[in-house]
Amino acid sequence: MHQRFNLGLRAFCVAASFALLSPGAQAAEPQRGGTMVMIVQPEPATLASYLSVAGNICPVACQVYEGLVGYDWDLKPVPKLAKSWEISPDGLTITFHLREEVTFHNGAKFTSADVQYSFMQVLKKVNPRAPVVLGDLIAVDTPDEMTAVFRFSHPAPYLMKALSGYDAPILSKSVFENIDPAANPSANKPIGTGPYKFGAWARGQYIRLDRNPNYWQSGLPYLDRIVARFIPDASTRSAALETGEVQYAAYSSVNYSDIKRLQANPALDTTTKGYEMTSGISEIEMNAHRPPFDKREVRQAIAYAIDRNFIIDNVQYGFGKPATGPISSNFKPLGLYSDDVMRFDVPDRIAIANKLLDEAGLPRKDNGMRFATTLEVNSFGQQWMRQAEYIKQALAVVGIDVTLRSEDTGAWLRRVYTNYDYDMSEPFFNNLSDPVIGVQRQYVTSQIRKGVDFVNNTFYSNKEVDDLFAAGAQEVDPVKRAEIYHKIQKIVVTDSPVVWLTEVQYVTVFNRKLHDATTGPLGTYSAFERAWIEH
Amino acid sequence: MRRLTYVGGRLALAVPVLFCIAVLNFFLIHLAPGDPASVMAGEGGSATPEYMAMLRHKFGLDQSLPMQLWHYVTNVATFDLGYSFRNDEPVLNLILDRLGPTLLLMVTAFVISVSVGTLLGLLAGTGRNTWRDGASSVLALLASATPSFWLGLMLIVLFSIRLGWLPTSGFETIGSFYEGRAYALDVGRHLIMPALSLALFYLALYTRVMRASVIEQTNMDYVTTARAKGQTERGILFGHILRNALLPVITMAGVQAGNLIGGSVVVESVFGWPGIGTLAFSALQGRDLNLLLGIFLVSACVVVVINLVVDLAYITLDPRMDV
Repeated sequence: MHQRFNLGLRAFCVAASFALLSPGAQAAEPQRGGTMVMIVQPEPATLASYLSVAGNICPVACQVYEGLVGYDWDLKPVPKLAKSWEISPDGLTITFHLREEVTFHNGAKFTSADVQYSFMQVLKKVNPRAPVVLGDLIAVDTPDEMTAVFRFSHPAPYLMKALSGYDAPILSKSVFENIDPAANPSANKPIGTGPYKFGAWARGQYIRLDRNPNYWQSGLPYLDRIVARFIPDASTRSAALETGEVQYAAYSSVNYSDIKRLQANPALDTTTKGYEMTSGISEIEMNAHRPPFDKREVRQAIAYAIDRNFIIDNVQYGFGKPATGPISSNFKPLGLYSDDVMRFDVPDRIAIANKLLDEAGLPRKDNGMRFATTLEVNSFGQQWMRQAEYIKQALAVVGIDVTLRSEDTGAWLRRVYTNYDYDMSEPFFNNLSDPVIGVQRQYVTSQIRKGVDFVNNTFYSNKEVDDLFAAGAQEVDPVKRAEIYHKIQKIVVTDSPVVWLTEVQYVTVFNRKLHDATTGPLGTYSAFERAWIEH
Repeated sequence: MRRLTYVGGRLALAVPVLFCIAVLNFFLIHLAPGDPASVMAGEGGSATPEYMAMLRHKFGLDQSLPMQLWHYVTNVATFDLGYSFRNDEPVLNLILDRLGPTLLLMVTAFVISVSVGTLLGLLAGTGRNTWRDGASSVLALLASATPSFWLGLMLIVLFSIRLGWLPTSGFETIGSFYEGRAYALDVGRHLIMPALSLALFYLALYTRVMRASVIEQTNMDYVTTARAKGQTERGILFGHILRNALLPVITMAGVQAGNLIGGSVVVESVFGWPGIGTLAFSALQGRDLNLLLGIFLVSACVVVVINLVVDLAYITLDPRMDV
């Protein structure tokens, strides 16, 4: 409690000082030059962000590739490679007017042909999210060099949320034409329109990006180069920030346990902004094909038995928020989030959990336990083991005897999403920029897909929910759309196919000499064209 | 001439050995659950069956296991280690990129540990129960009981954070574009801490082995004989004892040298050193089968060669062991 108070106080102080200082900070002229060194963890396997959406690719690739639009703090699209756009009233066409005077790093001029090729020939064919995001896109017409018209079979309101350089990088047709998009030689030497050009990649050490002197926003970027460094050990990453060798570390690439110490360092600062379009939620998945998880009361009892604030305070060091359901509270500005659902954070939650388990026909045996089960521990870092240890203790209180099993990523994913050989698992799911893209994959019947990671593996199937998700994906009116998702949250939370634990709050640690690195909701997944270093 | 035939015979024997190792590795790796396509898709957090099928086809995982083995063996026979689809690079390039830094770190650590360890062992063994013995024994005990990752982190805290003398991690200062002597100095500054943390554990082992060995040899009959002959103590030590006492050290050094190419996952991770150890580790995590097989095979080749070199070193030190 004490710690939480401290963090809250600290957050308040930071916010207050920010408010006081920001006019002065803005008055400071950005300085040209310098090298920004950032941590990327772990080293990406490839830079083909059109082919793989792994989280460690974009911090590098998004400096090189840009999208048609960017997003402001209200998650609204703002011009990037597209200057402006019109959406037809029926939602079936979007017309983009493209920016002139943009060239790719290989000298080719950017035109509507590049947009057409990127979407129809590359993204639609090889991007893992394409069947969901671009499934309704029939064609991209190019009436002239600077106009691209997207045509859809059904309205696709979510698409305007998925056009950033992270979701839909614009590639040069001159680089990709007549080559299998899954095996393009530019996969590790990206060529885009962005503020930084690919420089060099020393495997196991760093990727260097150099300033693009011909960038379409004249005068930008301010930095001479960006270096992405790979340091496998988390303690060394913290040390490199402390010595000033590294100026920027996002996505909680330093241990939560080190953050307090780093915050005390006058040279360093932290922020939790820049993750508003990621919105990770940690969960417990339960296999409904394995009794007793087929019983709704059992799943609800588990939801009642867990104290989410304990996880936030002790496992996540105060960074995070209790999750109330499948949709993150980050969607509040868009009106899609609702907390008018069945709540599990009630005062007598343990008594309710015990009662539900009794009703489910699972009385306590002589040893005080009702049944034994196994939890598959998330392989993506130490904090998940800590969380699993807490879950084991919390469930023992209501008479569920949990064994923890920890495997490496390959074995864990295979067990949980291909072999379905699990009782409970503790993944986290990113909501991404829209429920169609990040949420529905876990709850609709059509997403029960053997061998596909991070989809519906709980065998949850509810016709009403399927229909509502289908309607939400095509509803153009924002008010009606919000109502649909509010309804979904109510039904799904009551059914509790999974237990929602916390909204994961990532932390960015950066050197105070580095300015304007976090300028929008995509944070590290957007270009650092305005970042500058005091020197 | 006899020795040449011996070396030739050993090398000829190595071919079937390496073949067996390659086949064994292949099956061992396929025993691990999970495949590269599933890991790659998992890292992205979302994928479709079509995408997974495309990846599996691209990686050649849609072929039968015997077929995959056949491709692998025929490739290896033509010195082609295959392609790492995960990294989009030929396996050989990936390994060669790491070879330089790996050898630099491992050989430096090797030289420090063998030379200093032998010297300390010699000092301790010849001055039994004196302060020399006590001091080097305590040092050896501390060094062998200290985990290298912890030592590494403490070195970083002291020399990088507190004193600011050395960089925390990495192989070179990026973006400084040093050349020639300045570059060598820069790499040297990055090398000091990882080499020390890696050397210390082995240094302790050599000290203890050398000490025991020197003491054992000192009590041998030939030493008494040499002394009766009227040889000076210095002559006995360097002419007789040292040569015999080195044999167990050579054995140990052979074992350590066999690990040279494998790198050290722990120390490489702590110092962000671009070695083969972390490459193998990430290949394992990502189920990058071709890359793993490549690293295993190259390591196996090095072990075969080092074993041969160690055997030849024995012969040179102790002619009784000659072929």
